[in-house]
Amino acid sequence: MSSASILNPADVPPDSVKAAEPTRDIMPPVKTRTGLWGFVWRNPSIAVGGGIVLLMIFIAVFAPLLWTVDPTALAPARRTREPSAEYWFGTDMLGRDVYSRVIYGARVSLIVGFAVAFFSSVIGLAIGLVSGFVRWADGIIMRIMDGLMSIPSILLAIALMALTRGSVGNVILAITVAEVPRVSRLVRGVVLSLREQPYVDAAVAAGTRTPVIIWRHILPNTIAPMTVQATYVCASAMIVESILSFIGAGTPPIIPSWGNIMAEGRALWQVKPYIVFFPALFLSITVLAVNLLGDGLRDALDPRMAKRI
Amino acid sequence: MDRRTFFKAGAGIAALGASGGLGAPALAQGAAQRTLRFVPQANLANFDPIWGTQYVVRNAACLVWDTLYGFDANLVPQRQMVESEEVTDGGKTWTFRLREGLRFHDGEPVRARDVAASLNRWAVRDGMGQMIRAIQEEPVQAVDDRTFRWRLKQPYPKMLVALGKNNTPMAFIMPERLARTDPFQQVTEFIGSGPMRLVRNEWVPGAKAVFAKFEHYVPRQEPASWLAGGKVINFDRIEWIIMPDPATASAALQNGEIDWWETPLTDLVPSLRRNRNIRADIADPLGNIGSFRFNHLHPPFNDVRARRAIAMALNQEDYMRAVAGDDRSLWSTLPSFFTPGTPLYTEAGGDILKGPRNIDGAKRLLAEAGYDGQPITVLVAQDQAPLKAMGEVTNALLTSLGMRVDFVATDWGTVGQRRAMRNPPGQGGWHVFHTWHAGADCTNPSSYLALRTHGDGAWFGWPSDAAVEAARNKWFEAPNLEAEKAAVAEMNAAAFNHVTYLPTGFFKTYQAWRSNVSGIIGAPIPFFWNVSKS
Amino acid sequence: MFAYVVRRILATIPVMAVVALFVFSLLYIAPGDPAAVIAGDQATPEDVERIRASLGLDRPYLVRFGAWVFDIVRGDLGVSIFTNLPVSTMIMQRVEPTFSLMVVTLILAVSIAVPLGVVAAWKVGTAIDKAVMGFAVLGFSVPVFVVGYLLAWTFALELDWLPVQGYTPLSEGLWPWLENLILPAIALGSVYIALIARITRATMLEVLQQDYIRTARAKGAGQRSILFVHALKNAAVPIVTVIGIGIALLIGGAVVTESVFAIPGLGRLTVDAILRRDYPVIQGVVLLFSFVYVLVNLMIDLLYTLFDPRIRY
Repeated sequence: MSSASILNPADVPPDSVKAAEPTRDIMPPVKTRTGLWGFVWRNPSIAVGGGIVLLMIFIAVFAPLLWTVDPTALAPARRTREPSAEYWFGTDMLGRDVYSRVIYGARVSLIVGFAVAFFSSVIGLAIGLVSGFVRWADGIIMRIMDGLMSIPSILLAIALMALTRGSVGNVILAITVAEVPRVSRLVRGVVLSLREQPYVDAAVAAGTRTPVIIWRHILPNTIAPMTVQATYVCASAMIVESILSFIGAGTPPIIPSWGNIMAEGRALWQVKPYIVFFPALFLSITVLAVNLLGDGLRDALDPRMAKRI
Repeated sequence: MDRRTFFKAGAGIAALGASGGLGAPALAQGAAQRTLRFVPQANLANFDPIWGTQYVVRNAACLVWDTLYGFDANLVPQRQMVESEEVTDGGKTWTFRLREGLRFHDGEPVRARDVAASLNRWAVRDGMGQMIRAIQEEPVQAVDDRTFRWRLKQPYPKMLVALGKNNTPMAFIMPERLARTDPFQQVTEFIGSGPMRLVRNEWVPGAKAVFAKFEHYVPRQEPASWLAGGKVINFDRIEWIIMPDPATASAALQNGEIDWWETPLTDLVPSLRRNRNIRADIADPLGNIGSFRFNHLHPPFNDVRARRAIAMALNQEDYMRAVAGDDRSLWSTLPSFFTPGTPLYTEAGGDILKGPRNIDGAKRLLAEAGYDGQPITVLVAQDQAPLKAMGEVTNALLTSLGMRVDFVATDWGTVGQRRAMRNPPGQGGWHVFHTWHAGADCTNPSSYLALRTHGDGAWFGWPSDAAVEAARNKWFEAPNLEAEKAAVAEMNAAAFNHVTYLPTGFFKTYQAWRSNVSGIIGAPIPFFWNVSKS
Repeated sequence: MFAYVVRRILATIPVMAVVALFVFSLLYIAPGDPAAVIAGDQATPEDVERIRASLGLDRPYLVRFGAWVFDIVRGDLGVSIFTNLPVSTMIMQRVEPTFSLMVVTLILAVSIAVPLGVVAAWKVGTAIDKAVMGFAVLGFSVPVFVVGYLLAWTFALELDWLPVQGYTPLSEGLWPWLENLILPAIALGSVYIALIARITRATMLEVLQQDYIRTARAKGAGQRSILFVHALKNAAVPIVTVIGIGIALLIGGAVVTESVFAIPGLGRLTVDAILRRDYPVIQGVVLLFSFVYVLVNLMIDLLYTLFDPRIRY
């Protein structure tokens, strides 16, 4: 063996070194799908749920363009017709086109769902923040919220609806009142747990004013659980609206909603099941989608939320 | 043996061990045959037929209490509790004698004192009773245990009609101690002399009421005909089961869990009829008259032209289809305020509702009446199917006339409260509400409160017109049928001229029962006598 | 421990006070006049006024509230405007069906949902897990009355296995009582099962990752023992919490279920009373439901100390 060393390339004879065998992959490379397809692959719940919700919103917004007729147009001479080429979902007991009512009904059901989710979140946030920060108010507020929560929400909503006449606005108000306590509890819980965190302590010690603390530290941490909670509230609100209509305390029938189409058709479900079936299908799919969306968001934003929500 | 009975049998054996006793008593054949399960038209929440004037209360009361007279199938009052009557003193004194053997459910005999107290209480609440009270010399007096007398200042030929009619409130006879209750308060016990007694401890208001046969009831000898004749009960128990959901009641009837359903939905009847074990037929040949009721106090409907405009445009076919479905044997158009098929029926003055509808003419007439585009407040009860349907048709009608509609969807209770308000519609009042009247109440002017036009004291809407009232008085004074018919025709025409309210049509409803039940007849009240189950 | 129990019980009083105030005030400002409904179709406006006065509906707010609270404390829930029966009697008549329905639903739901959740957690990520969770989400999404109608149609009408409606008291036999309650319990429990299954799965997943599980496995404990003895006991707290909170769901859902299956229970009583504005009944029933809810959650709070001795308030 010569004293030449492989350390010096000039010393290495040209043919003495062969290219190394490519090593076998011990771990194959992870294919990271990018873009939209990648997003869908990694978060199926959000994709499917969100997709269906978007579809329903589309249907609601573009209802007049989707081959519908006036959903309130009565035609008693053509009542209770089975689904056919002319009436895709049949007609109801006053001769109105069920397809058009279901399509327009998406508007009311979605508006009720989103409005309740929005208002209950905003109001619940405000109450939760006050409760979490203002010690003396906490006791009173939480007692009131506990009190409201111990009245079953359906009964609360029915009772509130009994105070006024049926309208979309009143339904939204009634269901919001029933849902606010839960949201406020959630926010309060987050606030209380965050206040123990060292960085918040530090901020307080440094003399930061409360609104700034809220804005910079508390709010960002409430967004995630509140968003998830809001989706569940939305789903729950749509179901409660249908139950209110079932009992006769919901939106007035001249404004079709999935709930009151079902309520009107319930007496005939044995002989003309399509009147109940189609709105039930749309409602269930939408609520399912919103729930999936909520689950997906919860898993994506913070898997630890699964324990709390 | 069907599957359910099989499961029951098997499980019954298991249950014997589990519960240490017998299985469901309903398995016993005999008991089931002697029990009738009936689903009434509405919730039976209270039970005083003088205090609460709902039809369902009256229907249940017919089982528990008896009346002095009763309409037969020809609407002629016949003796029931009374054995004989005598009219003296130029028609001003009525003396009655009770028949023998009448007992209350608590064992006491029925005495004239009880009758006197009952009639005096009834007369406070009833229209015809109030008329009699206004002309009575003194309240009803008991002469002896079985005789009582009513002395009036002037004759009242329709006395027996008042005592035997089937419109609410009926002149039911209660024990004196109960009849002394204020007519505006409920009685606290439900003791009567009728063929059945209420099983008080099994009454769950809103869910169930149970009646048991009263062994000491002595039926009359004559065959039964509506409220007249012998009321023979062939059951030990009759259960009234309240079912709020028509689909549930339909399924229960098909399954044999109930025997008789008073008001099946018209749309469900074809499928019920296809079941070999179920029969269905018209419930009440006297049917019902739908009502579009105006508020005569406030614009625009305080102007007769606006009301006539609606009459020109209103399409009774639309209303009736919405209420009663596609079965033409169930409804007809009605150019009259009175019940078709009855002796006094007339179409005088009803031409405005006949023929093709005139939307343009109506619009012109509305403009002429000064309609300025204000929203029309329509009260619509959502919990009564016919009213809900009529409300929606009205909404479409008014909109087609270019009117703006303030559609108040609420429950019958709220409608009841709001229709009593005379304020302007913008301040809690109303323009239009819907209701219906049983055909039995619209056969003649005697109990036809809705057709009266005496202004402030009139029914909700407060129509005011002299001609209608004059015609009505003529009917009360009419000596024979010809005169009555003329008076009613005059009243009908005057009412159309004034457009007191608008009939939306004449409709009937079905009743349905299991085929092993026989004896059910079509009448304004579900009669349980002569009904039996095999 | 005793002090803790007393403190918890005392804490329920302000909650009930809030409920009472809320319920009473709600109905005080409500429109709708029971007197008009009682008076009936043929009544004149004067009749209606007389009835209102006789019902005492024209006294001022504080007087009525004070009188009402005083009566409640003495156990007198007032008299129904419509039936003239004491509210407590009406409630007692209807308690058994609703209570039976809720107990059967609770037992059914817990016995189905907890094992489902455990299995889903055990087989996390597999088809079984997805199937169970899929069913659970479905349970949330279909309205209770639709489920009720479907069940009634399939099992009662088509297959004729069970009755369509009604309620048979327990005194008439165990099986008749049960067979009337099976379909309503499944319908009512669908949401409840979904909720409990999800929480069970989520909590079990977390617990199964804990060290003590690994220790148990290392010690050679069998799969079943691990799941049900070690894991479930530690997962009990959130599960039992959800069961408690879910009672409110049951009560709300009972309203609809009782309507569909014609069960003469408190839910139907409440809805009828609300729609008719029978104030004393509404107040009595809502108060009762809230009290039950508060009581159940109190018991659950006290049960926590059994499951997890570390919990002390």
